[in-house]
Amino acid sequence: MIEVVISALVLASMYGLIAIGISLTWASIGMLNLAQGFIFTAGGYTAWLYAQYAEGWGLEGVGLSAGVLIFGMLGSALAGLFVGAIAFLPLQDRDNFRTRSLIATLAISLIGTQIWLILFGPQNKPLPPVFGEGRIEIGPAGMSYQQLGTIIVASVMLALVILWMRSSRRGLQMRAMMMDPLGAAVVGVSVRSTGMRVLAISGALTGLSSVLLAQVFFVSPTSGVQPLTTGLIISLAGGLGSIPGTVAAAGLIGLAEALTARYLQQSLVPFVLFAIVVLILIFRPRGLGGLLEDVRE
Amino acid sequence: MAILEIEGLSAGYGPVRVLHDLSLTIEPGERLGLVGLNGHGKTTFLSAIVGLTGWQDGSVLFRGEQIGGRRTHGMGRKTPQIVRRGIALAPQGDAIFPGLSVRENLDSGAYTGATWRSRRKRRERILEVFPPLAPLLGQTAGTLSGGERRMVSVGRALMSDASLYLVDEPSLGLAPKISLNLVAALLEIDLGDGAMIIAEQNLPLIEGRVDSVLGMHAGDLKLDVGEALGDVPPAAGVHL
Repeated sequence: MIEVVISALVLASMYGLIAIGISLTWASIGMLNLAQGFIFTAGGYTAWLYAQYAEGWGLEGVGLSAGVLIFGMLGSALAGLFVGAIAFLPLQDRDNFRTRSLIATLAISLIGTQIWLILFGPQNKPLPPVFGEGRIEIGPAGMSYQQLGTIIVASVMLALVILWMRSSRRGLQMRAMMMDPLGAAVVGVSVRSTGMRVLAISGALTGLSSVLLAQVFFVSPTSGVQPLTTGLIISLAGGLGSIPGTVAAAGLIGLAEALTARYLQQSLVPFVLFAIVVLILIFRPRGLGGLLEDVRE
Repeated sequence: MAILEIEGLSAGYGPVRVLHDLSLTIEPGERLGLVGLNGHGKTTFLSAIVGLTGWQDGSVLFRGEQIGGRRTHGMGRKTPQIVRRGIALAPQGDAIFPGLSVRENLDSGAYTGATWRSRRKRRERILEVFPPLAPLLGQTAGTLSGGERRMVSVGRALMSDASLYLVDEPSLGLAPKISLNLVAALLEIDLGDGAMIIAEQNLPLIEGRVDSVLGMHAGDLKLDVGEALGDVPPAAGVHL
């Protein structure tokens, strides 16, 4: 049972980061970013490229690990800005921005996969283990360094983002824009520059998730598809825009995935996840966030 | 130099033209009341000053600098820059941030430039104008009553370092006594070299307390309201 809980926490950490990126982007600029999978893969390849060079220079240990994490986040943040330059800035004040940007990000996602295929080929690229190899035993169960590291790094990153949003001026501007775009414009908050900032931050979170997930899987041209789907499921279940809701939904979905994989079958996971999100949206149209926060919209 | 010099301003949304070739000049220290029925363009007029209309055309000089001009799309795109030059708008329907506390809502009015550092002092000043807000500072703005929300919205506009304050229908939807207090507090504020435009449907609320009153009818500025009041002088530079 403890193994299931640990596995659930690891899954929640990895997918929760993408989900928060999707959720923030939707709530602040009204764009459902289907290119989040492309952004995910961009971080994976950037980290892989860095690892290639770093190993060539003989770098190892903490330097290598920290670099992989940082370059993964950096690559995805840049990809987020790239998506913003194509799907957000030119379309932002047109009619039907939500539909247009949805189509634009879908296009980036599809074309992006082909670009990765051309640049890096179809082979899977492994990332070096960031947290070292080994296990710690806690009572009857144990967890690997990779699992422990994933949970800690994701939690610290999430805490930093929440702290920044709660206490800094830029964070306050971002939250203001999420709640009332007109009010934000009236107090001098630019939707365009704040929107790009949101895309960069969402990208960095996605890049971190990409590096963490690549500890278990590989980086490949299509490796962003499944995380995008799970991220979308979590952000929907959490009630797009609510950070506490998204965190709760990540825990719930992670647990569901871990339980299904352990007691049923791995192949049933998507069915179970979609069933959960459908049920949540039937009974709680605003997702779990509606339960956790008294005032929204 | 005039605070605001508007010349031939037309504005609207899509195919609809709401404002027809308006001109208006406001001098430092002036309080202008803008009265008129619903749907005659008061809100559009205030919105056009900060670039929040669908399209607009005509010169808007703010302290000698052009902030208007012809614009066919890009609603609100220039608004943050215009606001940062020193124009504060308390828009119709509050537009406060429901999930932020009253304190954070007020502070958001001081985002622009160096005012952020003096936000505590500014907040104290707002609480002197609207004392009922003092015990509510930590409360989430979405849970406030209509009158309190309006105070937050107007207070947020007053937090900034503006020289032109635009207040859109401060009394809308409020109980008479509450709107009376709110407008009274608003009109007692020391503007210094600044100026203020208050759009208001309820003429008796502002009558005699503003320097001039203009009527707004079918997207045009009229003097008849001022003439009807007798002793209220017409605003400078109005072309009919």
